[in-house]
Amino acid sequence: MTLLREFRRDIAIAVVAFLVLLAIGFGIDSPWPRDFLTSIFAFGLLAMSLNLLIGYTGLVSFGHAAFFAFGGYVFGLLLQWEGFTSALGGASVPLAFVAALIGTALYSLVIGAICVRLTEIYFAFLTLAFQMFLYSVILSWVSLTGGDQGLMGGIPRPPFLGIDLGDAHHRYAACALVFVVCVLIMRIVTESPFGYTLRMIRDNAQRAAFLGVNVTRVKLICFVVAGSIAGVGGVILALFTSGAYPEWAFWAQSGEAIFMIMLGGLNVFVGPLVGAVALRILNDVVQMYTSHTEIVIGLVILFVVLGLRRGLLDFARDWWVDRQQARLAAANREGEER
Amino acid sequence: MLEIDALATCLSTPACLVNQTTSGLIIGMLLFLVASGVTLIFGVLHVINFAHGSFYMLGAYFAFTVYQLTGNYFLAAAAGAVGAAIAGIVFERLIISRVYGQNVLMQLLVCYAFILIVDDAVKIVWGAEYLAMGIPAEFRLPPYRIAGGFVPPFYLFLVAMAVIIGLGSLYVVTKTRFGKIVRAAAHNASMVSALGIRVPIYFALLFALGCALAGVAGALAAPVRSLTPGMGLGILVESFIVTVIGGMGSIPGAFLAAIILGLTRSIGSVGFPLFVDGAMFMMMALVLIFRPTGLLGQGTLR
Amino acid sequence: MKTSDIRPRRRIDRRTVLKGAVGVAALGTGISGFPAYLKAAGKPIRVGMPTIMSGRVAILGESSVAAAQLQINRVNKAGGIDGRPLELVVRDSRGKPDEAARMTRDLVNNEGCDVILDAEASSASFAVNEVVRDIKKFCIHSNSETSSLTADPKNQVPWVFRSARQGIHDAVGGGLYAARVAKEKGLKRWATVSPDYAYGRANTEEFMEYVKIFAPEVEIIEQTWPKIFQPDYTENVTALLNAQPQAVYSCLWGGDLVAFTDQASLYGLFDQFEAFAVNLGDYPVITAIKSLPAGVHSGSRYHKDIPDTPENEAWYAEFMANSKVLPTNWSWENATAMDFIIAALKATGGDTDAEKMGKATAGMTIDSPFGAGGKLTMRDSDHTLVNYMVGYSKTISKDPYVVDFKQTDWADIYKHEEEWKKRNGYI
Repeated sequence: MTLLREFRRDIAIAVVAFLVLLAIGFGIDSPWPRDFLTSIFAFGLLAMSLNLLIGYTGLVSFGHAAFFAFGGYVFGLLLQWEGFTSALGGASVPLAFVAALIGTALYSLVIGAICVRLTEIYFAFLTLAFQMFLYSVILSWVSLTGGDQGLMGGIPRPPFLGIDLGDAHHRYAACALVFVVCVLIMRIVTESPFGYTLRMIRDNAQRAAFLGVNVTRVKLICFVVAGSIAGVGGVILALFTSGAYPEWAFWAQSGEAIFMIMLGGLNVFVGPLVGAVALRILNDVVQMYTSHTEIVIGLVILFVVLGLRRGLLDFARDWWVDRQQARLAAANREGEER
Repeated sequence: MLEIDALATCLSTPACLVNQTTSGLIIGMLLFLVASGVTLIFGVLHVINFAHGSFYMLGAYFAFTVYQLTGNYFLAAAAGAVGAAIAGIVFERLIISRVYGQNVLMQLLVCYAFILIVDDAVKIVWGAEYLAMGIPAEFRLPPYRIAGGFVPPFYLFLVAMAVIIGLGSLYVVTKTRFGKIVRAAAHNASMVSALGIRVPIYFALLFALGCALAGVAGALAAPVRSLTPGMGLGILVESFIVTVIGGMGSIPGAFLAAIILGLTRSIGSVGFPLFVDGAMFMMMALVLIFRPTGLLGQGTLR
Repeated sequence: MKTSDIRPRRRIDRRTVLKGAVGVAALGTGISGFPAYLKAAGKPIRVGMPTIMSGRVAILGESSVAAAQLQINRVNKAGGIDGRPLELVVRDSRGKPDEAARMTRDLVNNEGCDVILDAEASSASFAVNEVVRDIKKFCIHSNSETSSLTADPKNQVPWVFRSARQGIHDAVGGGLYAARVAKEKGLKRWATVSPDYAYGRANTEEFMEYVKIFAPEVEIIEQTWPKIFQPDYTENVTALLNAQPQAVYSCLWGGDLVAFTDQASLYGLFDQFEAFAVNLGDYPVITAIKSLPAGVHSGSRYHKDIPDTPENEAWYAEFMANSKVLPTNWSWENATAMDFIIAALKATGGDTDAEKMGKATAGMTIDSPFGAGGKLTMRDSDHTLVNYMVGYSKTISKDPYVVDFKQTDWADIYKHEEEWKKRNGYI
């Protein structure tokens, strides 16, 4: 209840955001906004959950997409398994979702327990190693995962409670709801005392430890939360593409998520989400005008990193703060003169 | 998953043993050249050059062009090294020096940007087609027969070159005046520049040396590897595994790790063919868990 | 983090959330509305083409686009479809299945494409298949050779076709050819070296299966599976050396085959046994290899002399005049896809309705420089291309690089394909 009261503004924003998303998806006749936003839901969750680690805790993970892929594969495999869908019928979709969530949480618990003891670049490389290990398992275990072809033949989605995820509108609304709930959870995590413990660890882990914080345990909890939410992102993408592909577990996918964070800004809560949108639009627009997409995207990255030296929202926020301060200073001067 | 019979048969046959050991060394030594560049740059400048594969690719393409023009393989290899070094200086001065001492993510991103730009540029300059340099005339010899196994003379040359160049760069960094200045500058740049030494130039030169190692690896291997845009990516991941296992910053470590990795690949292709990649990443993970500074790392590095 | 930071931070964040939501909404309507509106008023019939334009196999996408564009230019010069020109819209998926699926949707929903030419490799083509089934757009898969894409009834869609080689056709043709060579030369001990992914494994298994059916005395003594895009094949070459087979089959392709051939030559591999490489005949491969061994048995890909007709010669000349890259196997397959799209549009009078175009295309036979006897047919029963050039040649080190083409009789292919389908429960 206190949670409800404390975060009532954020909850209200979430409800409004959900309604806006619904209005876009149902109000516009073209399927394009739905498709666009659904993929943003998936990659946005990947990037935002990674930012729990990078931006809030200072844990630079190069292997976050492993959990994204893991969630997608668990969800897809369960629903493709006839025994599962025939035994559970209508309940199979929600149960597969829960199983994917729990499965990813356990998987990130195991990986996290090993990784969070390391710091900085060693942490980064260890997460990378585990991610590539998962990638090579997915590629090699052809009988289960379909190897490089991914989960083929579509993922069955038996209707439940009147919701048919085979229908584009139902699917969009469900994905939007899951997305908004996950973002709200991340908001609560980052703005709660736990979130400030994370920031303290980022800024000075030693001081946090002296203050009696069990740094390893807090890092691990954060790792598991981030991994699980990335897994939900994978579930959304699996629903959307009606399949799961090994590329999701490739290091380039983690790299892309990092780029989304850096492009959007890692010090503003929705920065990574803005980054995901910006990257997608950049990619699509560039493709419309040139076949040399790589050069253009490379130059944009260089501009953001070397020119702005921070993400778009970070830049905007700093600019805003500077302006406010300048105005404040000017007002003060005026007051003194008067 | 394990093919113990095949492995046992191979290990007890001299011909197979010779073939697999030499192929492990060949794979390992070229990896060593690339990885020694990564580890050198990290050890001194504390930046991770994620774009290292691009210099490998540039070395190969430069060598290809020079070989087409002159028909001289040795000149081509030198051109690969010099070309990659020049590209390295440009990259260091214009891009990477701006993120020295910054968040590793900044380094990752500018390197990623560089990879994208160079890949596309190579496609524009040389085209998307597969290019092959072909074995130089000097090395078009039948393979040597050792205990029933086959050893191509060209590969003997490659291994020898890799060892010489690798040891040479180790010597440059540890024993020469240049190496001493660079290491001192990395430790305390302001102190060194107070002595009237232009530190940025030394940093750029060291970065260029690391890139030249990648470039010469690409150039030396160009006769037997097809050239395509994006070819640097595959070698990049493996050279990082070598760097991490050997210890970031340690050239002897990279040497040891490269041999281990080469042998894992060649023996693994007989004994556990489906799991070679998995085994390499597993080794990397185990080293990081139990000895994060790597097999021969000093543990004082960041 | 100082506590004083907390309050202002929250306020800014909330604004950003709202602004972000509004911004996304505005962008959404803007981007979706604008081009679609523009295009709806325009005349051209747009053909969307997701393919691979970057990375190590960019050449495949480039040679596909060049070929498709060639056919479009030709029909547009002749007045288009009842006065409406065709227009090609290309998107680079980088070979990622989910990107290919997303781009296919975008091409239809956002770019106003009415027809999809799916120039993706295998795994992405399965993803595109599900998309065009879902959004009901006429589609031709132009590159995927995976047999099950059209043979398995689960994947069949009334308005979706394949204009590419089919794995099983090549396997029967290759098996018949290789079995004959095996009997002539007494080749019993075989080894394979193929890329370790779905295409490599399926292709190799099918080929060896048919070699064994036609020459039962053949046994496989070694199989080595390099990873795709592996820079170094030394361990695979030595694995073959250790096994000492009499013949080797490989379905490596592209730059990988170039590198493998040059590395294997160092070990004198091709002097030691007969080699069969189904993808060696591709122009960019065979012209790139510097130490091309003579006498390697090479599968038919695309070649200006196969079939040896003036029409094919003319097409080759036209392609070379208009393309930055050499023609590949993907080139003739995409030219053929575009020919069928054009023929279907002519049959429906420019109506792009998926079902109408599908009905027109099923069972259609067109004149083509790539067909046996100048004809290609889109088979009605499983919507896949038949009567193209299947067979093997032998390499020589100079232009025209391959000679002595032995064409497989399609009657043989049909017979064994039908048995294969029954075995797999497809019919």
